[in-house]
Amino acid sequence: MAGAPTRRFRYRGRVVEAREGETLLAAIARDALPTLERSTRYHRPRAPFCGIGQCTGCLVRVNDEPLVRACRYHPGEDDRVENGPGWPSVRWDALVVLDLIFRRGLDPFRGFRRPAVAGPIYQRLVRRLAGYGAPAPVSGRATEAVPPVVRSAEVVVVGGGESCRATAARLVTLGYRPLVLDRDRRPGLVGADWLGGVSVTLLGPRVDEGAELPFRLLGHAETGAGLSVRARSVVVATGGYDASLLFGGNDRPGVLTADAALAFSSAPERAPFGQALLVGGDRRAEEVLARLGSRVAAVIAVGEVRPEVVRAASDLGIPLYPRSLLLGVIGRTRVRGLRLRTRGGGPRFSLAGDAVVLAHRRIPNAPLLFLAGAEMAWHAGPGAYYPVLDAAGTTSVPGLYAVGTVTGTLEPARREGAERAAFAIAGRAASDSEALPRVRAEGPSELEGYYRELLTEPRRGRWIACRCEDVLLHDLETANRGGYRGLEVVKRYTSLGTGLCQGRYCTPDALLILSVLEGRPPSEVGRIRQRPPVYPMPLGTLAELDDSVAGEVG
Amino acid sequence: MNNLPRAEYRTVVVGGGIVGLFSAYHLARAGAGPILVLDRGFLSSGASGRNGGGVRQQWETRATVRLAREAVRDYRRFGREFGYNPWFRQTGYLFLAESADELARLRRVHDLVRSEGLASEVLAADALSRYVPGIAPGSAVGGTYLRSDGVLYPFPAIWGVYEAARALGVDLAFGVEVLGIDSEAGRVTGVRSSAGPVATTSVVNAAGGWSSDVARRAGLDVPNVATRHEILATEPLKPFLDPMVVRASDGLYFSQTVHGGLVGGLTLPHPAGTAAGLPSSAKFLTAMARALVGLLPRLRSLRVLRAWSGFYDDTPDGLPVIGEDPRLGGFVHANGFGGHGFMLAPAATRRVARAVLGERTDLEPELFAPDRFLAPRLPSTAERLLLG
Ligand SMILES: Cc1cc2nc3c(=O)[nH]c(=O)nc-3n(C[C@H](O)[C@H](O)[C@H](O)COP(=O)(O)OP(=O)(O)OC[C@H]3O[C@@H](n4cnc5c(N)ncnc54)[C@H](O)[C@@H]3O)c2cc1C
Repeated sequence: MAGAPTRRFRYRGRVVEAREGETLLAAIARDALPTLERSTRYHRPRAPFCGIGQCTGCLVRVNDEPLVRACRYHPGEDDRVENGPGWPSVRWDALVVLDLIFRRGLDPFRGFRRPAVAGPIYQRLVRRLAGYGAPAPVSGRATEAVPPVVRSAEVVVVGGGESCRATAARLVTLGYRPLVLDRDRRPGLVGADWLGGVSVTLLGPRVDEGAELPFRLLGHAETGAGLSVRARSVVVATGGYDASLLFGGNDRPGVLTADAALAFSSAPERAPFGQALLVGGDRRAEEVLARLGSRVAAVIAVGEVRPEVVRAASDLGIPLYPRSLLLGVIGRTRVRGLRLRTRGGGPRFSLAGDAVVLAHRRIPNAPLLFLAGAEMAWHAGPGAYYPVLDAAGTTSVPGLYAVGTVTGTLEPARREGAERAAFAIAGRAASDSEALPRVRAEGPSELEGYYRELLTEPRRGRWIACRCEDVLLHDLETANRGGYRGLEVVKRYTSLGTGLCQGRYCTPDALLILSVLEGRPPSEVGRIRQRPPVYPMPLGTLAELDDSVAGEVG
Repeated sequence: MNNLPRAEYRTVVVGGGIVGLFSAYHLARAGAGPILVLDRGFLSSGASGRNGGGVRQQWETRATVRLAREAVRDYRRFGREFGYNPWFRQTGYLFLAESADELARLRRVHDLVRSEGLASEVLAADALSRYVPGIAPGSAVGGTYLRSDGVLYPFPAIWGVYEAARALGVDLAFGVEVLGIDSEAGRVTGVRSSAGPVATTSVVNAAGGWSSDVARRAGLDVPNVATRHEILATEPLKPFLDPMVVRASDGLYFSQTVHGGLVGGLTLPHPAGTAAGLPSSAKFLTAMARALVGLLPRLRSLRVLRAWSGFYDDTPDGLPVIGEDPRLGGFVHANGFGGHGFMLAPAATRRVARAVLGERTDLEPELFAPDRFLAPRLPSTAERLLLG
């Protein structure tokens, strides 16, 4: 795009140009996925993973402010960008010795106990290494107080994708003016108030005194501006995201989700990989093939492969490996390939590639539903909790609706589902409508069988169960042997799920693995209680928000 | 019969939080088995898994200072004894005073604490920034500081006591609710639970915020009330703050963990009781953010990672209830710890165990015994340095 405006900023002292609308990550990931930080416990190199502002893979310092997510940040002219934590630098981190010495893992709670006199020394040492950087000095951007946006609305739709749009459009024709809160910045809709670039948390509903507007949403924009909205009805259209997968070295720079890979699809020739090993045999894999096919070297599926994927791969001349166990990444500092084995005791083999793109499992992005206390049910097909819905798309919480991917409604019925919610809000739900087809609830979960088989394989390298906190598969097994059962207890025992992603990328797999280890269905292993805020919120933003209504979450 | 390992126990402990676990541990060490711990939740689901990990010895009542000092010794050697390291970090508690009156009150605490041989210090306003780098000028007129106070990670402490109790033969059952306590002629005879009945002659009420429910299930009225307290944790920063910082006016308290996140809360007037469950409120998030940013403006861009809440089990005089209930033989209280049960648990539960065994304890009955609330007048001594 010649002539498109650009911004010049400094990344590690070097001048870099970002196109208008381009994220910091896209600007600095032109040739290869950059290693931007080191992990917490083992100081392993860490690179962007999720691409959608949820994981701990691209935390950089911008103008001295730590913990900025490069994949969500739009660089400003003259910004100074530095890498995240690493000692002395991200590239050459001396503490990687921890990774080499503690091959079986480093247990912070059972280790470091002796000799007793060394206690304070350990404390000081760990504190020296902890954290993601000092707080920014009080100056410049950090102190600009941006006035909050305070609204009330009859209907709020949270999302921004297709189902959100369909519900909002139907609401408009029914005479409403919905307020749409979109975490991305997508084009709006005539007749709706569309706020883009805001991350929101739901508080409520208030059960006391039958409040007129029982729902309260708190949010913030990337600028730090706060948002406080009260609503009578809320439609959750928050979609889904691509899950992680457990294998040796699954945290290596170059392992990334399809969400992250697709962020580069507008200009595939500039994607930071050229020989991706695509994991998945379903719709999501099809999508990646359609948009980034030229950058894919092989398709690997943990189970069976859909005929459409088979066709797409063969059209592109890409080899296909169905029913494969992913054993481990090849490559010490970044992905150079994968070691695999055909399921059912088949042969071992390896494939070369410069990235592993995870498109095998798309799961609902449901924190708002959990926060509102909606009843959720385990669905074995994708292996996730989905809201319990009536035919009109109403959740168990009056005034709370869910539409689209987050409900597990299958195409092509999603549009119908989205419209039904709008009719229900208008009090015009058809009483005789049939339930829409949704993802499979009963039966075994494909990945459960996969993990049962995988856990019997010999292991090499680190198997990272929780990326944010460097919790290992081995740690889950230790907890299990110690008699700690259930996801809530194992979370507290291992710290799994306590990091910046709040369990988004570890609990979906941990649930299945614990189900295998504990010998009971995932629904009995439970889940982690969702805590607000859904996305970390700056104290400064919260401090500016009025608190005249005490919205609450259960 | 029941789904528990035995039909009969010498003692049944209701509540598997830090107080119940430590009580069972001390009892088992004294050879007073068999012991059963029942908890209707999962391990660490109560206040013990939801607190700020503060451990302090600065109190208004001498007896509490002494208990806390003993508990500090216990937590110092916890790692060696229990196989888990709670990272007890003695980098002090700093109480901030916002007025001359508050400072005078803190000085009285300081004098008492000193008279117990603890090296408390009074800090002038201009010394505060050494302990709280970046503190907004004028936000406090001074404070008191005791370096041997500190913070710990509650979870490894729970695992350590849980495993130690188990290794001593204590039976622990989670997901089992105590539904009723049976008695005959004024003595405990058994417990009815969701896993069936258990015969026993002594019951320890270590149900934390639910202690008054459990007492009621034994037919006893107690003045304990549950109050909800909210707390939050932030994203991890490089450590810049050593002490736990406490402010009396709004109950603000916060510290920075070994991991780098700030953890803290403040007190809001939530309605008493457990009925409303454990929500987090916008009021708390915004009030806490205002308090933190007001005190430490450099924290503006620091993000809140998560917020949660838990119940304090409050008593009218701010002191815990430890000892046998005079109305029901064999029913022993180990509750009413307010916001301080974690720090006091190892020491306080030694006395709980003795009370179960019918032995005398060194606790002043007028301060801790359950009978103090049965008299028509409230006790004259009270602990009021409760926030933080
Ligand atoms: C936000 C917050 C911050 C705090 N900060 C600190 C601090 O910094 N320092 C400090 O020392 N203390 C602090 N506390 C207080 C401390 O957490 C408690 O005093 C302590 O954990 C109490 O332990 P417990 O074992 O008595 O209660 P809990 O840990 O609450 O355990 C009680 C258990 O009883 C069970 N139970 C209840 N009813 C029944 C029944 N009928 N049948 C079976 N089981 C039942 C519950 O499931 C629960 O697990 C804080 C508390 C909160 C809420």
